[in-house]
Amino acid sequence: MIFSYHWLKELSGTKKSPERLAEMLMAHSFEVESVAQYEHGLSSVVIGKVLTVEKHPGADRLRVASVLTGKKDTRTIVCGAPNLAAGQKVVVALPGAHLPGGIDIKEAELRGVKSSGMICSSKELGLGSDHTGILVLPSDAPVGKDFVHYAGLEDTVLDVKVLPDRSCDALSYQGLAREIAALEGGVAPFLTSVKKPVRLRKSTKVPKVSIKTDRSRRYMALLLDHAVMKSSPLAVQARLVISGLRPMNALVDLTNYLMLETGQPVHAFDADAIPAGGIVVRLAKSRERLLLLDGTTLALSKDDIVIADTKKPLALAGVMGGKHSGITDKTKRVVFEIASFDAKSIRRTEKRYRMLTDAAYRYERGIDTERPGEVAMLLAQYADDWGIGQGMAVRDVASKAEKPVVIILEQTKLENLLGTKIPLFQAVQYCSWLGLSVKKVPNRPALKVIVPARRPDLREPEDLIEEIGRLSGYHHIVPQPLSLPAVPPARDLDKAFERTLKSTLAAMGFDEVMSYSFYGEKSLSQVDLPKAEHLTIANPMNPDQAYLRSSLFPGLYRALATNAKYFTHFSLFEFGSVHRNEKTGPYEEKKVGLVMFGPAEDSDTAVFLRFKARLDALFGSVRTNVVWNEMAAGSFPAFRPGRVAHLTTTNDGSSLGFAGEINHELSRRLGSGTKAYFAELSVSVLSNHAKEEVIYRDFSRFPLAHRDISLIGPKSVSYNDIEIVLAESGKPLLVAHELFDVFETETEKSFALHLSFGSADRTLSGEEMDEAFGRIVEAAQERLGFRLKM
Amino acid sequence: MTLDRLKAIKEEALAALAQATDDGGLRAWENTYLGRKSEFNTLLRGVKELSPEERKVVGSTGNAIKQELIQSAEAAQSRIASVVVQSVSDVIDVTLPGTGTGAGHLHPITRIEHEIEDIFVSMGFSVADGPEIESEWYNFDALNFPPDHPARDMQDAFWLGETWGKKKYLPRTHTSSVQVRYMERHKPPFQIIIPGRIFRNEATDASHEHTFHQFECLVVGSDVSVANFKSVAETFFTAFFKKATSVRLRPSFFPFTEPSFEFDISCQLCDGKGCPVCKGTGWLEIGGAGMVHQHVLEAAGFKRGQYQGFAWGFGLTRLAMMKYKISDIRLLMSGDLRFIRQF
Repeated sequence: MIFSYHWLKELSGTKKSPERLAEMLMAHSFEVESVAQYEHGLSSVVIGKVLTVEKHPGADRLRVASVLTGKKDTRTIVCGAPNLAAGQKVVVALPGAHLPGGIDIKEAELRGVKSSGMICSSKELGLGSDHTGILVLPSDAPVGKDFVHYAGLEDTVLDVKVLPDRSCDALSYQGLAREIAALEGGVAPFLTSVKKPVRLRKSTKVPKVSIKTDRSRRYMALLLDHAVMKSSPLAVQARLVISGLRPMNALVDLTNYLMLETGQPVHAFDADAIPAGGIVVRLAKSRERLLLLDGTTLALSKDDIVIADTKKPLALAGVMGGKHSGITDKTKRVVFEIASFDAKSIRRTEKRYRMLTDAAYRYERGIDTERPGEVAMLLAQYADDWGIGQGMAVRDVASKAEKPVVIILEQTKLENLLGTKIPLFQAVQYCSWLGLSVKKVPNRPALKVIVPARRPDLREPEDLIEEIGRLSGYHHIVPQPLSLPAVPPARDLDKAFERTLKSTLAAMGFDEVMSYSFYGEKSLSQVDLPKAEHLTIANPMNPDQAYLRSSLFPGLYRALATNAKYFTHFSLFEFGSVHRNEKTGPYEEKKVGLVMFGPAEDSDTAVFLRFKARLDALFGSVRTNVVWNEMAAGSFPAFRPGRVAHLTTTNDGSSLGFAGEINHELSRRLGSGTKAYFAELSVSVLSNHAKEEVIYRDFSRFPLAHRDISLIGPKSVSYNDIEIVLAESGKPLLVAHELFDVFETETEKSFALHLSFGSADRTLSGEEMDEAFGRIVEAAQERLGFRLKM
Repeated sequence: MTLDRLKAIKEEALAALAQATDDGGLRAWENTYLGRKSEFNTLLRGVKELSPEERKVVGSTGNAIKQELIQSAEAAQSRIASVVVQSVSDVIDVTLPGTGTGAGHLHPITRIEHEIEDIFVSMGFSVADGPEIESEWYNFDALNFPPDHPARDMQDAFWLGETWGKKKYLPRTHTSSVQVRYMERHKPPFQIIIPGRIFRNEATDASHEHTFHQFECLVVGSDVSVANFKSVAETFFTAFFKKATSVRLRPSFFPFTEPSFEFDISCQLCDGKGCPVCKGTGWLEIGGAGMVHQHVLEAAGFKRGQYQGFAWGFGLTRLAMMKYKISDIRLLMSGDLRFIRQF
């Protein structure tokens, strides 16, 4: 909330400069977001006295005034305002003056008469909305003096961030003044100053009020029978403008001024729009319609509170008034509403229609239910002072006041939580500065505090500890090391694995990127992920936040496209959570995604095998053996058919993920012709074996015998088929094999391997080896149609 | 006589050896000075003609000279070998770039996260984790954010379109969502940190992101106090910035802590004297903190008053930006290697 320094100063009695005041509030109460000179946008605007007014010789609508704007400074000004008259004190913008809205005043000739300056209306001065005539000042306004100073527009504004817990007591000038006085150890003058007594009488002329919902605890209606439609006093207009509100007319200004000063929203009805049956406070009927002040028509909900007559709603309670019951230029009689409404109900209504008005903002944060009486007195007083009308009549309907909250605070708890010593008498003092009623509990070091209605944030002992802590100042608390037992901290194995994985990948040459957890329709269809498995965002800010990622691929593809513009080859990885929509709830899993791009000069197979080698090295580093299984075409459309593998672990056969070349279309969109390879792996499967402790197994002490084999046969056979045959037919003597050449002809392909034979308990004989070798050749022939290549 | 001649031959031989520049020259030198028919060997063979006294002296000196010449020849051999120019096909251009991949780079957020974890772990803290998509309960209700309360506006949340029964879920708005989850499974005393990705439904610009990283620190025991919080925070930041750093607390409001604080650290650039970075205040706003609200401890199943502790959170993203002087927050999620490869 924006506060005028001068207004705050008057109410609080502080003698601090705006900057010192802000510092004090920052240290003990609220964040002050800015302290700045109020920008009124006026310069060279002075008070003048109209000496004479004559007809303009060349224009019917204009008149020529002679205006005194200084001791010996009389000037001629041409003016079109109908209310101009000799003897008035007016506001004159001198040549060279600037007005809000960017108007610059110059000497000018208007239809043959030279005019040196302009007599201003409220609107031209940035104050009211009244532009029908010039602003006429009281007769005691000092001629020649600076208008900005005179009007009270020379001020400093403080933007104070009052958070929801303190809005009830501090989101107003009186509230903040009370806080300032408390911090300075005193009482705000407005609380003790003697006001002239105002008479509030009961009268049957005030519309009847009946409350038919428990969401309103109090409703005061004040009737002003002979309202005078005029502008509010200049000082009031200035305060409203400085606080960020636009002055309208005195009746509307009065409601706004009271809300700023007391925190209590006040609404004004045209009393003649309320039929004889009076006012009913009730819940709306479903689909009941109401035309609001701002011109929108709502179809109401049963959850809304309305102010109604006996037939129809007049206003949306606590949020906005109705058009037909509002104040107009013709209003003669006014009913002011000072009421309290249920905060949660107002919040739901405000959210439902997206109408966070100044009133709703205060109601949803809670207002002081004990205040309406005081606010009513103040309202009557201002109406009198401002000359709007006299003789306020009131009708007051209230349910029983709630019992005040009592908190018992033990001194040990206070000191234990803050970690510092605080004498009881000091705690008592801080509480009383805050205006809390406080007593010592007999026979033990504890306080009994009675909480006023304006402080709904004080409910528990900890709430009081905060009050005492902040008033005494947190800087007094001396840092005290934790006393911890000397035990090693528990390790989260998954977090530890995440770190190992990331570091290994970086060491292997993969650069780590991070992408958003969201993507839009475009990404989804681009990589052809099934829409149904996705979780959606109900309230995205833009279309790119419509879905939660079910794969790291779209994000990595975006990074791939970004970097393909600048680099000929690179490798990326991302570690992150992916999400899926499942029957039992949102499913979440950690994945690692990898991308390798180029270089373009190498063959596709060479790049793929390099990618595979690096993945296998990664698997080796976490002690997981992985099989690369061929996959049926179309099982993951983002991959190019025939160039994608399903990875499973040999340890227990669990599915680790997929790896392969991205499809033609995705590759083409990168625009470089360079191939890219992508893999997505389940982190939990990867981490399964990394957590196991290593157990040493004995190895054979006997020498291995080596022999090479070269097999040739049908092209359809994969290396994996060969390996399966080797594993099965080579048992038990074949202990290792290593591929060293692959060669393809038009019709056939051949594999050449080094074979190693051995046994745990003896050196193999030549015959044993021949036999084992023979079995392999035989099996390759029988099962794969492969023969020895001569 | 013989002795003098031997010494003269030695001087002559060493001088000649210094002139030898290739294998051929070296072999010719060996022939001349150490060959069977060389003067030197001829003289040595004549030793047996000498008197026993002379024989002894000349013999031993002669042998010593021979050893010295052999060693000098060996040294000359390696000197010559090292200057021999290889044929062009033998040369490897060692100025060519290496092939294969260079080292990769960890994301700056990861680097900072590791750095922070290391400091806290060395202080006796454990690292905890929790889901990024969280139930309304753990993200708000359990943290004492009542339904229909304006405190919920302090964090703009994304919400999932799907619901399960009456259960609503959201991308978590803070790592505090892990607090009650953790306390349901761990009894105090404990001290943990929770790093993680969080989400706010906010417009993005150079200093605002809808997705960023945060750190939560939670310490609960029987007598953990505000004074303890100040100490832990000062110790951490002093270690992180590698210079003495003080912490300032200001009153604030968070539903899940009471008392609640905003906390500032002394400006790292000017050491608290006031500079443009800290807008002349000498302090940098870092994050929120407070003493864990008893309602939160109750939500975790503890009795009111049984335990007390503090929680604080701060932007990991903000620390990374401070440390590396990153001017645009959007770079972090850009995936751009021109950025990533600087770390």
